[in-house]
Amino acid sequence: MKFHLLFDHEGARIPLDAGYKTAPVLDGLEALVAELRTGQQQLRAVAFNDLLGLCDAAARSWTQPGHPLADFIRRNHLGFLPLWLRRANLSALARRSLRDRPEALDHFVPLGEKQTMMVRAQPRGVVVHWVAGNVPVLGLLSLAQSILCKNANIVKVARNRPGILPFLLAAISEVNYTNAQGNTFSGRVLTDAIVVVYADRQDEAAARELSRLADVRVAWGGRDAVEAIINLPRRYGTEDIVFGPKTSLAIVGAERLVDKDSARRTAAAIAADACAFDQQGCNSPHTVFVERGGPIAPSEFARLLGEAMEAECRRSPLEDVDPAAVMNVLAVRAEYAMRGEAYHSREIQWAVVYSDEDRGLADPCCLRTLFVRPVNSIFDVAACCSSQTQTAGLAVDDRRQALAEALTARGVERCPAVGAMRVYDAPWDGLFAMDRLVRWVSG
Amino acid sequence: MPSAIDYLLSLPPYGMAPEVKTAALLAGVHEQIAYHEAHCPPYARWLRHQGFDLRRPVQSLAGVPWLPVGIFKRMFLSSVPESQFVRVLTSSGTSAQVPSRLPLDRTTRNRQMKALAAILSHRLGGQRRPFLILDAPPQEPQHADRELSARVAGLRGYLMAATEQEYALRSDGGRLLLDRARVVAAVERWAAAGTPFCLLGYTYVLYEYVVRPLRAEGARIDLPPSTFVMHFGGWKHLHQQAVTKPVLTDHAAEVFGVGAGSIVDIYGFTEQLGVIYPDDPYGVKHTPTYAEVLVRDPRTLDIVPDGAVGLLEFICPLPHSYPGVAVLLDDMGRIIGRDAGDDSGSGTAFEVIGRAQRAETRGCGDTLPRQVYETGGTIR
Repeated sequence: MKFHLLFDHEGARIPLDAGYKTAPVLDGLEALVAELRTGQQQLRAVAFNDLLGLCDAAARSWTQPGHPLADFIRRNHLGFLPLWLRRANLSALARRSLRDRPEALDHFVPLGEKQTMMVRAQPRGVVVHWVAGNVPVLGLLSLAQSILCKNANIVKVARNRPGILPFLLAAISEVNYTNAQGNTFSGRVLTDAIVVVYADRQDEAAARELSRLADVRVAWGGRDAVEAIINLPRRYGTEDIVFGPKTSLAIVGAERLVDKDSARRTAAAIAADACAFDQQGCNSPHTVFVERGGPIAPSEFARLLGEAMEAECRRSPLEDVDPAAVMNVLAVRAEYAMRGEAYHSREIQWAVVYSDEDRGLADPCCLRTLFVRPVNSIFDVAACCSSQTQTAGLAVDDRRQALAEALTARGVERCPAVGAMRVYDAPWDGLFAMDRLVRWVSG
Repeated sequence: MPSAIDYLLSLPPYGMAPEVKTAALLAGVHEQIAYHEAHCPPYARWLRHQGFDLRRPVQSLAGVPWLPVGIFKRMFLSSVPESQFVRVLTSSGTSAQVPSRLPLDRTTRNRQMKALAAILSHRLGGQRRPFLILDAPPQEPQHADRELSARVAGLRGYLMAATEQEYALRSDGGRLLLDRARVVAAVERWAAAGTPFCLLGYTYVLYEYVVRPLRAEGARIDLPPSTFVMHFGGWKHLHQQAVTKPVLTDHAAEVFGVGAGSIVDIYGFTEQLGVIYPDDPYGVKHTPTYAEVLVRDPRTLDIVPDGAVGLLEFICPLPHSYPGVAVLLDDMGRIIGRDAGDDSGSGTAFEVIGRAQRAETRGCGDTLPRQVYETGGTIR
């Protein structure tokens, strides 16, 4: 059993772009957990509202010109992150997730109309987060919610870019926030309740130890990864929150294809959703179903979507490519050039492909590749959906609720408007994460 | 008037001046692109999509329109009527979920055999030899249908350079075993006659069923110094056992009592069968007259400077029944020299580093490391 310590109360132990090997090595986590519990006690003493203030202060500072994080966020296409950490967003998230009673994180509050029942949201204890390798920053989303619920946190990162979360956490630890009463808080109150470690995926003893310590196990990742995590032995009562492998799609109704302006707006929204996270998020669209019958035909919409992808990629170019994925995309481009329509950049930046013959969901090939497929009715898409479908971005007007009903009945988790697919909100994957990160108690 | 391909195949496999080779290749490429454009409608459509205009001659090999190798998994591309198929080749599919499917006609097969014979003959010193095949003898006509795996086809192609064939393995209830008595008898017979010979087989068969068992026993089968041990095929299984090319070469040289230069690793791929890339005596691969290698940056798809690692593209105008003239492979490699000037003749010297691993759909993420390249491999 061997852990590499990447972040603790002393700050980041590796530089941003370093591998895990230079980090201190631990043969157990007991001592760290003891320190974490001390940090958690300090965290519990701070009001939820002040924790929001700290997150908000971090988010605001990161968007200031010249701040070291501003450039990092731009280069890594993480513009959503400062917005997500703002008070208004987190407050709304907490209200939605905690029965409209986020104050229950601080003290007992009345629940229900008669207000005879007093409830409190106690932290669950130690939350262990297994973070995905392809989108490591996603771990920050569950981590922030867990911190707001005043838990102690162990984050196990993947080998790929292990320095990102320590880098972001170090930036949070440097933030200060002064509330309306004049009390000043350091970001360390948040980060002292967090450690980040790396353990080799072959190290079964380390994996079992992480699971043994967890009161909540949060697993982000592909099927093999999350199955490996949830199959680890756990203590009775341990909660599991799984953000597993799912894919997403977009649906364009004929009412949004009445003219080129309307179609272009829709295309731009889908392009922005597809380019976020370089199309590696579970909420990234891969297939775009376009309804026939509008003045703009699905094939023409594919061309307009290509223009929108070109514009989006000019603003935010794709920088890292996996050669194997490149070969897959090149084959898709060539196939559609032969038997359908293929619009794409000369380099590997984006691609939109279309064939009148195609039906159903396409196999995602990422690298900002969209498969446009015609449907006679937007309701036909429901048949393609399952519990493996995470988000269906909708460009639909009056039929939106009816369509959402049909899609979610088939297993789809979210039906936001196109352009908002990339927004991380609650519920997510069928649950309100903060609700699962607390114990509801009465008194 | 002979075709550009006939002319190309009339040239020696190595030793051509670079400008003569390039001119002959370009003429062949132009001729074949025109042919495929006229006979393979999807290819013609793709050429138009690429903005390629045959009326403008291709000025350089870098300007030849190339297809990604994966297209042969996604589309069945044919430039001849089905009645002219003599076989449909499939890639081995050991690491690919869907194999490539390539129709083979008589013209393509003849060209492949000519190229293979010329290259092999050069490597074997200009003479045919007895071959000791590292496999079990076929029992029945196993491939009566026209679908023939590229593995079997590849092995058969080499045997035209054989004056005699013996099999080194036997099948025991579906399990391959080294037939030591038969091997020793063949080796002694050829050695006594002073006949140089070859061992030939798939890389993993050579290691798994010959080299590893012999080493485990501390046994040797001493071969005359003139013997070549030639192997080809995928490295995936061996890499899983941490067996790299240097390890295999060292172990094989040890059990056969020959120098490392006698262990010949051959690179080749289904989409351009016939043209093979054997190691020279120093373990370096060179392009013959009939083909050229280019290396492209995976992101920009531009040609990278010599020495830089990228995706390997091979240009070879021999395929007549399918448009495999220029193919970008999912193998990573680099050019390590030009016009080497040693006894393997001139030709671009290159190294195959390994295959870009299969891309996986990862949905929301994957906690497994994103390892891009296999290391140390040379065969796909």
